[in-house]
Amino acid sequence: MVVDSRSSKQSLFQPLPGGIKLLMALAMILAAGLIPLENWPAHGLLIGMIYIGLSIAGVTTGYLLRRLALFMPMLLVFGLSAPAVRSDGAAWSWTISLWLRCTVSFLAGLWLIHVLPFRELLITLRRWRCPAVLIAMLGFMYRYTFILWDELHRLQNARAARDFGSGPWWRTWSTNSQMIGLLLLRAMERAERTHRAMLARGWDGSVRFLESDE
Amino acid sequence: MHIRDGILGPEVCLMAGIISLGAVSYSLRRLRFDLEDRAVPLTGMLAALIFAGQMVNFPLLGLPVSGHLLGGVLAAVTLGPWAGCLAISMVLIVQAVLFSDGGLMSLGANILNMGVVGAWGGYGVYSTIRRTFGSSHAATVAAAVIAAWLSVLAAATLFCVEFLLSSHSSGFDPRGILTLMVLYHALIGVGEALITGGVLAYVLGRRPDLIPELGSIGPVGRVGGFAVSGVVLALAVAAILAPFKSELPDGLDAVSEQVGLSALEVERPPLVLEDYAIPLLARWPQLSVSVAGILGTLIVFAGAAGLAGMTRRTTPSIVTRSIVTTDGSHGG
Repeated sequence: MVVDSRSSKQSLFQPLPGGIKLLMALAMILAAGLIPLENWPAHGLLIGMIYIGLSIAGVTTGYLLRRLALFMPMLLVFGLSAPAVRSDGAAWSWTISLWLRCTVSFLAGLWLIHVLPFRELLITLRRWRCPAVLIAMLGFMYRYTFILWDELHRLQNARAARDFGSGPWWRTWSTNSQMIGLLLLRAMERAERTHRAMLARGWDGSVRFLESDE
Repeated sequence: MHIRDGILGPEVCLMAGIISLGAVSYSLRRLRFDLEDRAVPLTGMLAALIFAGQMVNFPLLGLPVSGHLLGGVLAAVTLGPWAGCLAISMVLIVQAVLFSDGGLMSLGANILNMGVVGAWGGYGVYSTIRRTFGSSHAATVAAAVIAAWLSVLAAATLFCVEFLLSSHSSGFDPRGILTLMVLYHALIGVGEALITGGVLAYVLGRRPDLIPELGSIGPVGRVGGFAVSGVVLALAVAAILAPFKSELPDGLDAVSEQVGLSALEVERPPLVLEDYAIPLLARWPQLSVSVAGILGTLIVFAGAAGLAGMTRRTTPSIVTRSIVTTDGSHGG
């Protein structure tokens, strides 16, 4: 899976602390939420700023358009449902304002996933005095995610090798549910094994960090 | 289901964020008490599992779109409400920060709708039904199915409330939005309920020991579970029914108008929930009716819970202890 691989690219933003990047993205989203529709050129300014940021972070325009193409349909449907539930003249201006706000926020989020590696997020959370248990859980989740994705791919390959094309929809639904169930069994057994291995190495339930992580 | 940034107003996001922060820290405290040193690896694994489970696509009758698991109730049923709430919250954090799926600013609202209502509320409904109908496999699956459907509906209702409270969205007809969201999510909820039931039936067939019994939860947990499930049910019912409340005066008012008693009515100081409408929300009459209905239900439940607590406290401690042990031996 191509997760988190883009965020380790060298760019101008890399030496910045994670907290600054997080706050920059949040500030953009907040600004987009506070600008009234009458000042719509401000949204254009924000989009331009984020586009420059994205280019510096090494995002190609082709990739950006692909992501936008995936994002737009849902936004279009949500925006177009506004004129359906209200009949006054303000409906369309509300829809356009929603589209602008959501696009700016989406681009800011896209910038963030390209400049903030997961490790930096954990370090930032720790600096912000987030409980150590929660950070340890996030770390565990991150590691297990890749393992379970591989497991899921194996299950899906095995199923594809056994059923010949698609059956009726309820068959697919029940097979898929059973696949998640099997994944759950394997995941929980693996977690128990991991826990026993941790006990064998002196785990007492408290989480410690090496100082050099900072 | 994920709320994008830009849909809710910043002030609503802030409020929802504060509420979910409290809920997450409370879950953390309870979790360490329940699962002890297994808490960290098990919850991390559960979060990764829900995350991977959401990647499995379910076809929708030949439509070009597909559905997927949400997982709030499944997580709560597997490891309890506290680990479930934390797992869903972590999935949402990772999705927002690493996938740009669901907003950063509306993260709090997403955690509130899916993690807190989904896991806590869903578990409340689940445990109440299971306690009523016993702990057979069929009852367990049925309880989870109903809880999954209700939790999706409750999340949709909560989204409507958040949406209508946002400063952006003044001028909307609350009844229209609520109808649209409730209809749409009643269908999504059916999908979620089917998937949750399918997964759970499979797991119960292979490793029934993985789905914990409810016996380990004390009497306080029981009252809490009952209260929470009641609140979730009432939220769903109040939200569905309140906007459609008849515009006609109720029976007593109608009679007094007919008889001409209204002229005799004395001016009285306004009550808090005057005629089931909160004055602050006068801009959106239908919503204020809904909110008033929900608030009223909450107050009633708080009162009932308070009464239940008082009756328990008057019971002598030795009797209480013996009740607990007999209940525990029966496994609820």
